[in-house]
Amino acid sequence: MSKTTFDAVIIGGGMAGLCASIHLLEKGLKVALVSKGDPVISLSTGCIDLLGSTPDPMDGLDMLPEEHPYRLVGSDGIVESIETFKRIMAETGLDYVGDAHTNRKILTPLGTTKTTCLVPETIMHSEFSDEKYLHLISFDGIKDFYPSYITSRKTLAGYSTFDAGVSTTMAIASRFEEKRFLDEFISWLKALEVPPGKIALPAVLGIESSKEIISRISRETDRKIFEIPTLPPSIPGIRLFRRLKNLFQAKGGYIYWGNDVASFETTNNHIEAITLSTPGRPHRVGGRAFMLSTGSFVSGGLFAHRDSIRETVFGMDVYLPGPRQGWFTQDFFARDHEIEKAGIRVDKAFRPIDSDMENLFVCGSILAFSQVMKYQCGNGLALSTGFMAAKSLEAGIS
Amino acid sequence: MNFEHCIRCTICVESCPVFKVNPAYPGPKQAGPDSQRFRLDNEKSVDSWIKLCCQCKKCNVACPYGVNPADIILEAQLAYSEEHLMPLTAHMFANNYYMETLGSAFAPIANRVTGISIVKNIMNVVGISTYMPMPSFHALSLGRSWKKKGKGKKKVVFFYGCFLNYNRPDLGRKIRDLLVSMGLEVILPHQVCCGLPALGNGDLKTARRFAKKNAGILCDYIDRGYDVVYACTSCGLTLVHDYPGILDIPNGQKVAENTWNIHEYILDLIDDGYVEPVFGQMNKQIAYHIPCHLRALGIGYPATRLFDMIPGLEYKIFDENCCGLSGSYGFKKKNQETSIKLGEIAAKAITDTRPDVLVSDCGACRMQLGHFTRLDALDPAEILIESLTKATQKS
Amino acid sequence: MINTDVIIIGGGATGSGIARDLALRGIPHYLVEKNDFAAGATGACHGLLHSGGRYVVTDPDSAAECISENTILRKIARKCVEKTDGLFVRLPGDSKRFRDRFIKSCKEVGISTEVLSPTRAFDLVPNLNPVIEEAIRVPDCSIDPFRLCMLNAISSRNKGGVVLIHHKVIEVIKEKGLCVGIRARDQFTSQVKEIRAKIIINASGAWGDQMAKMGGSQVPMTLSRGSLVITNHRLTNMVINRLRPPSDGDIIVPNEAVCLAGTTSITTHDPDNIQVDAAEVDIIANEAEQMLPVFGTTRIIRAYTGVRPLLKAPGGDSRSISRGFQIIDHENGMFSILGGKLTTYRLMAEKMVDRVMAEFGTKASCTTAEKPLDGQDELSGYPLSKRLKNLDNIVCECELVTKEDIKRTVNRVGARHISDIQHRTRLGMGPCQGGFCTYRALGIMQEMGRYSPDESMKVLKDFLQRRFRGIRPALWGDQLREEQMVEGIYLGILNIGQEE
Repeated sequence: MSKTTFDAVIIGGGMAGLCASIHLLEKGLKVALVSKGDPVISLSTGCIDLLGSTPDPMDGLDMLPEEHPYRLVGSDGIVESIETFKRIMAETGLDYVGDAHTNRKILTPLGTTKTTCLVPETIMHSEFSDEKYLHLISFDGIKDFYPSYITSRKTLAGYSTFDAGVSTTMAIASRFEEKRFLDEFISWLKALEVPPGKIALPAVLGIESSKEIISRISRETDRKIFEIPTLPPSIPGIRLFRRLKNLFQAKGGYIYWGNDVASFETTNNHIEAITLSTPGRPHRVGGRAFMLSTGSFVSGGLFAHRDSIRETVFGMDVYLPGPRQGWFTQDFFARDHEIEKAGIRVDKAFRPIDSDMENLFVCGSILAFSQVMKYQCGNGLALSTGFMAAKSLEAGIS
Repeated sequence: MNFEHCIRCTICVESCPVFKVNPAYPGPKQAGPDSQRFRLDNEKSVDSWIKLCCQCKKCNVACPYGVNPADIILEAQLAYSEEHLMPLTAHMFANNYYMETLGSAFAPIANRVTGISIVKNIMNVVGISTYMPMPSFHALSLGRSWKKKGKGKKKVVFFYGCFLNYNRPDLGRKIRDLLVSMGLEVILPHQVCCGLPALGNGDLKTARRFAKKNAGILCDYIDRGYDVVYACTSCGLTLVHDYPGILDIPNGQKVAENTWNIHEYILDLIDDGYVEPVFGQMNKQIAYHIPCHLRALGIGYPATRLFDMIPGLEYKIFDENCCGLSGSYGFKKKNQETSIKLGEIAAKAITDTRPDVLVSDCGACRMQLGHFTRLDALDPAEILIESLTKATQKS
Repeated sequence: MINTDVIIIGGGATGSGIARDLALRGIPHYLVEKNDFAAGATGACHGLLHSGGRYVVTDPDSAAECISENTILRKIARKCVEKTDGLFVRLPGDSKRFRDRFIKSCKEVGISTEVLSPTRAFDLVPNLNPVIEEAIRVPDCSIDPFRLCMLNAISSRNKGGVVLIHHKVIEVIKEKGLCVGIRARDQFTSQVKEIRAKIIINASGAWGDQMAKMGGSQVPMTLSRGSLVITNHRLTNMVINRLRPPSDGDIIVPNEAVCLAGTTSITTHDPDNIQVDAAEVDIIANEAEQMLPVFGTTRIIRAYTGVRPLLKAPGGDSRSISRGFQIIDHENGMFSILGGKLTTYRLMAEKMVDRVMAEFGTKASCTTAEKPLDGQDELSGYPLSKRLKNLDNIVCECELVTKEDIKRTVNRVGARHISDIQHRTRLGMGPCQGGFCTYRALGIMQEMGRYSPDESMKVLKDFLQRRFRGIRPALWGDQLREEQMVEGIYLGILNIGQEE
């Protein structure tokens, strides 16, 4: 049995877990990141929603309920976290633009707009006015992008369709990484002679080299170009996830990917190790402190039975919003289903209130009262609670 | 009923190497959990595209819900093979072991034969891809040097696998010596192919026959206090995942529980204070390509923790790409294009960082990426050996 | 104004069956349906082509009709019927006397039975509860009610019948105390059509009394709500019944790639009340678990309810009311046909048309039992696995619906609502319930110029809301995860509901 011990073991390789573990690595700790699988950020728009209700996200903080996790982070904490995130992303080469005090609107593939805060450079020109012409590029046979959703809503818009030889967003993005393909695409685009204005495409401009690809297209066409994040698989989400994961490894972090936590060992309310259900023989990962960032229901951090909700790693008590009949309102568009409040309640140091474990910290959307859909705060909540909980963990073991 | 847990999130699709380069393959979600709803016990399979999956198991690793698409797909591949006539190539690769035994016995001839153009043409006709030279055979295979080596409290059986045995017996012997230098008693008993090529080519029966034979041999040693250690991560995954899993052989679980990755094992020895190896300075920058089957083992990348102990060594991990060869997959004509594209993608990621050398635990990855990057391709053990040797030379 | 001989109100199995029968006898007719085909009880049942076993002890006459119609439909509706056979399973504690009566009655009525040992039964259905005492095999089948209605309508159209779906009857035109026609409003364009006929047949099921009242009459009915649940995938390839008197949750039917289990039986007064309670889902799942233990942990993807129009019987439990049917001559030019069940729809249509033939002075007799339904060539039918052969251009990845399927449906049917496509192709009927393909299907319709932006947003919202109604009672476990994921797509990535 492996006796390897880490300073911190982060369980859950999503936005919160990755940010927390990168912070701890930067502080010189030995960190293991344990994840059952890839996170839902790789399905997200790749943008950082911070708080959607007000033009300055920070103005919305006071309107949040007392229990909301942002209250623990505080306005300074959020601003600092956003800056840290931007610094980290710049280090990965996938720069993000924006600041914690400014919300922006980006175009969705339905022709609606969506409020978000930070965006990768490929999406930064997404804002547009109805008075200016917008030209859309689509691809033959593509399943997850229909330009007419947008052109029918916007009078000054047109579109052209490129034959990429493949029709899924993944395959098109992969082709953009080929130089010859990109050359062909650019000469096709130049020959179109589209009316003056911005050019928008579904988010397929390469997986690894999006920054180089978009700046080359922009330079050669002399246009502002932006991507529209599509339904999953979401290329901007994949880029964000992979960059963070690679940075974690480049900074010396150690990953265990693809297996459940089967069990854990404790002595006197102190978690000693977790055991992974690796094929053949369980694999033990020991640590001085543990961080739970396994996400909510979609990510599998919480699981709802017919009459109860379970936290899936440590079996902790979960804040449960009443019986099943009341979990969801009748209205699909309500955004305030009670179930969104379910999760782990924590104290100021991000330690679970309903657990005795003294070296356990919790961050991300598994936190009770997050209500991510209602407040449009998904990735922002994940990264800021991630950084803050990491600080708390760091203080806890020093 | 794992496929029931699939919520169609497409995380597996994002991770699938084949899906992004071969439009004929519908991806792990469609091929696995989605299609599974239409595969009824009493109906014949018609999904010939199922063979396009290369069984890299990236989808298993990526899936956050334990759906394990690759395992669902493997079962469908086996069902398809059982109901349809196997092509000649599949037979050949399934019985790779026998071919290699022959190849090894007549190594000089075999090597010359696979290299000449008329034979390449024949290979093309039967559906074998020829973009890359076939691995060459060696006359002095490891199976013939089974004598006990080294002395120590701990005893290990080295499961060396076909690649080391037939293609790189020199490296096999080096790895054996590395284990010996860790204070272990090492034995290389006669063994047969782990069974993976047979499994990958739809021949469950042959795979099971090999597995049973190996399990018998290995358990004999396990009962006598030996641990099993492997260097080839594909053999390793087969031993720990498939022996008790899809092959479901007697003692499969016992083999799985007592089998270690070589670096994981050495790391444990160091952690336990069993050995205190001194690593010598190595001013090298290495690109460490993670074989898909090491990723699928879920034990992390233990070699990197040994690399961490080597002064001056810098490494970068590449764990997002499948090399595309995937055992015998890339040697089949119908997969050639996919294999080449994947090889180029993985190679580009590596060469972009201008490393001194390429390192990977898997012989197939080394062949493929060595070919596409034009870099020297080494086993991680070779890095350890070089560093240890340097330390001794110094002192 | 349109003149015809017969107006049929209702596009369920009965109404479309009558249309086909009239067509084959050469009588001009119009069928008017306010929604799509099978929108009422027809589409909200088990999809079980009864052998008659279910009723054989309590209602042998119905059972006899069932087995005879079962035999006919296997022949004439080959592509909508999957010949699964069914098992009646007896669990410890279930009455042995009932079992003996069951076998005896089956023999009397002519339903073939075969008593199977538990071991034989497990071979056929590995998921059966290991404690069963025995199983009795009967010729139950699975039937697709929507396709059945659609094929009947195609048969009608091929002989000059006119079928108007999405047309709501807003008035029954009366002259001198007689019903002489109707006014029907196109649900999309709001255009009103006036249709006159010699006879109006009210085949509107649970809405029968409302319709009769428009004609100045009424029909005595008891409405009974029956809820069902749909599983993620097949748990059995045979129909499973509990060998005991009819009760809640005693039937599980494999249908396409899923299983349907139900039902409950709750008396109701409103045919439009089709909200399922979470508690009903629990009852069905718990009962079904008795027969197939895997049901306790299986993923339920949706629940739905149908309102059965039963003949009125004063007092008593709605389960004990006969599932037979009745034809009422209102003596004002309108006939109502009510009661009955999906399995006997053809017989009901035959009797109904026999009754009105006198009006037309022709003597054509019914041939619906001999001729196969039109339009079956294009259907994929069974086995299911053959559908995996080609997965190019799949839009709905759960149910393997292609882009071409959608385009064809739009062009042929002029589909204006996403559910029209859903019914005809099974788009969005799988585990994610349209989570991914709704956006795609509407996008394709949008590209085809079928919608203005406002329309498409409204259609999308309506669809998502109706979809949610069915999913909500089954939200726990995997389905809850799936739903939150879908919410993330539509409310998160696409930001629906907050657009300016």
